Amino acid sequence: MTAVIRVEGRRRSVLRRAWDYLASFDGLAKTAMWTLAVLFTAALLGRLFGLGGSPTAIVGPRLAPPSLAYPAGTDSLGRSLLPRLLEGVMTTLLLSAVAVLLTAVIATLCGIIAGYRGGRTGGLIMRVGDILYAFPAIVLAILVAAVVGPGYIAALCSIVLVTVPLMTRMVGQATRLVAQRDFITSAVISGVSTPVIMTRHVLRNISGTIAVQGTYALSVAILVEGGLSFLGYGVQLPGSSLGLLVQEGTLYMVKAPWLILLPGLILVLAILAINLIGDSLRDRFEPREARSLE
Amino acid sequence: MRLLHWLPGRLLSAIIVLLGASILIFAAVRSLPGDFAQIVLGPLSNEEQREQLRQSFGFDRSLPEQYLLWLGNAARGDFGLSLASQQPVLDELASRLPVTALLAGMAMLVTIAIGIPLGVYAGTHASTGRGSAAARIVSTIGISFPEFVLGCLVVFLFSRFDLGLSVGAFTSPTTDFGRGVVSLLLPALVLSVFCVAATARTTRDAVIGVLVEPHIAASVARGEPKGFIIRHHVLRNALIPVLTLTATITAYLLGGAVIVERVFNVPGIGSYLVLALDRRDYTVIQAGVLLATAVFVIASLLIDVLTGLVDPRVSVAKKGRGA
Repeated sequence: MTAVIRVEGRRRSVLRRAWDYLASFDGLAKTAMWTLAVLFTAALLGRLFGLGGSPTAIVGPRLAPPSLAYPAGTDSLGRSLLPRLLEGVMTTLLLSAVAVLLTAVIATLCGIIAGYRGGRTGGLIMRVGDILYAFPAIVLAILVAAVVGPGYIAALCSIVLVTVPLMTRMVGQATRLVAQRDFITSAVISGVSTPVIMTRHVLRNISGTIAVQGTYALSVAILVEGGLSFLGYGVQLPGSSLGLLVQEGTLYMVKAPWLILLPGLILVLAILAINLIGDSLRDRFEPREARSLE
Repeated sequence: MRLLHWLPGRLLSAIIVLLGASILIFAAVRSLPGDFAQIVLGPLSNEEQREQLRQSFGFDRSLPEQYLLWLGNAARGDFGLSLASQQPVLDELASRLPVTALLAGMAMLVTIAIGIPLGVYAGTHASTGRGSAAARIVSTIGISFPEFVLGCLVVFLFSRFDLGLSVGAFTSPTTDFGRGVVSLLLPALVLSVFCVAATARTTRDAVIGVLVEPHIAASVARGEPKGFIIRHHVLRNALIPVLTLTATITAYLLGGAVIVERVFNVPGIGSYLVLALDRRDYTVIQAGVLLATAVFVIASLLIDVLTGLVDPRVSVAKKGRGA
């Protein structure tokens, strides 16, 4: 009985600490977090409880402007736009998040090895990163789409290939700075094994860099997914993503501007929110002194 | 001349990156599952056509031989025939290159003309509150606008309302340069928004970094006028990271041009690449991707040399790192 209470007590304190941590951000970053939370919750409600109706059902007249019955208007087939928007938000956020998670794992692993061990393996990792970095993002995505074929996998692979090189480079640089510090040297002298140093000492000290770069990678991911879907090689119909909805919207731009304005606005809001959170994290982990000439 | 110490190494690494990229492009297209000739020509092709295609691609040789053949031809400017139009890829790329070059050049001009002054203003007013917050929000909105959203928005506004400029009417700069520039004005502005914001952010951070250095405090103590300090001490030091950013911006302009050309229906290299993807025209895709990568590698090499000439510290650092 006592054991149960203790476990519960500890869990609440973790939640409380997480809440306190989030509350310590500045107003702009907090607004950004709320925006993302609202977008995600709305999309989740749409997925779980069918908020807004079915995304594929034809329910009304074609190209009807936003009204009480169709809060976001209807598209060229008479489907209500709201559920498609919610599905698009879900797809875009989920796809980007999964891809960035993959990126974070790959980049952290490669970056720590390259930055801490260096040597031939490290040099090779950095070279491969340089080569991938030389491809402009959308051009690389086009190459991937040409090989893999259009779809989720193409978008996922493109995002990972576009975001991995920069993040690996940044993690490598941060690792190199940490590796020079005295506590690493004393750990080595004390006979701590390399894997333990890498995970317990290096990884913990570069977690800030990983958070900052991961956040920026997420905004790049949404851009790449949007761009590729806009060109017609990302998410395919009958699926829905914000980039795909913008692309569909271009066809009826003059008659039904809401079809392009609404997904475009949500896309910009999501990327803006993520960038603001990234800036806030960067200020926190890489503080800089500011001085003016006044 | 310190430059000579690290330039050979930097050249070598640029060549390695280009070779690596070319291997990647070659391997990517060759790794298509199934019979390449079947994929390219479609299920309705006969065996004779497929055999001809295999021969023109040198499929009877080993993979390394095929790669060297392709690379050797590409280095001489021979990218083969377009699978869709049967025209030499080089000719088609060359006829579209001036459009994309002009588009990217105009966007770069806008980036420098607006991004740097904006960043200097934000940086010199960083600790005075309101102006700095406004600059931060404006530049963050700038990097958050995907150019396909912004482009569509501009096309919508300019086609719905009469705002003086028309979208969709394209004049080639090779036939009439002046009208070509005017017709590319909106695409170039859309393309430049991200780069302006990114440049402003980098300039701002660099200016703040220079302002806290002791020699600025010394200048202020000597009573030098503010404009003089900014021009002579702050700008010269702060522009080095901005110069480095130019390489990234070049890559961004090349990628962004693909989307912007698609949105505005501009017949440049970018829309050619998307067309090639639509037609599964693999020779064009290989050539286009290789070209874009080569432009980026060469641009960043030039910018590194330029930075080395401007900033003596760079050459020392490069030499020390053994790059």
